[in-house]
Amino acid sequence: MTALTRLFLSMRRTGPARRRQLALRELYKRFLDESGSAARGLRLLRDWLSPQQRAQFDRTGYFEVVGSHTGKIYRVHYGATTNVHEVDEIGRPKVGWCFVPEGYLVPGDVMLAQKIALETDELRVLKLANEFPVRSPRRVRFW
Amino acid sequence: MATLIVMDHTGDTRHHFDASDAKALAKAERRFQELTGRGFTAAVRTAPGEVTRVRAFDPKADETLFFPRLVGG
Repeated sequence: MTALTRLFLSMRRTGPARRRQLALRELYKRFLDESGSAARGLRLLRDWLSPQQRAQFDRTGYFEVVGSHTGKIYRVHYGATTNVHEVDEIGRPKVGWCFVPEGYLVPGDVMLAQKIALETDELRVLKLANEFPVRSPRRVRFW
Repeated sequence: MATLIVMDHTGDTRHHFDASDAKALAKAERRFQELTGRGFTAAVRTAPGEVTRVRAFDPKADETLFFPRLVGG
């Protein structure tokens, strides 16, 4: 049976098989749409990061920004919620700040909005953000 | 061509316009005002990775980025 014949026969399916085929097609289409959106968001983010931030993000999955008013360092992790951590002078997470753009946006867009907000209007952002505790990576003692 | 980039659920939507065309420029400015009026923040790049918020339409900007109002999560 040729590939063309198989395709023709599959198009003639009826009943549950046809419904399953349509459901699968819809699921696949939705997956492609969503992964397309996420990819677009990441491309936009990478375009607007500084070369240093882009290199850090590619290496670690996060990038750091300097707050416009206080000079504090914030680490923006990949994600769309509870992904911004203020870090201390030696890079340990101190506290988390949760703020996001209204509506549904893909992670790359959310992260870019967070970067711009912290770099240009830090105090206003901190006023509206919700604080949450973060844990420092556990120290391992060898003695 | 200049571009207005609006973040949305698809990643972003881009509106390209010819900044030397007065009609296209006026349309882009109306879009800017409509978006900022709805609470969007507008920003332009001043150097690679350096971003400035803008409160008025900048006809010389190559790209203007818009993101929705921020809320506490």
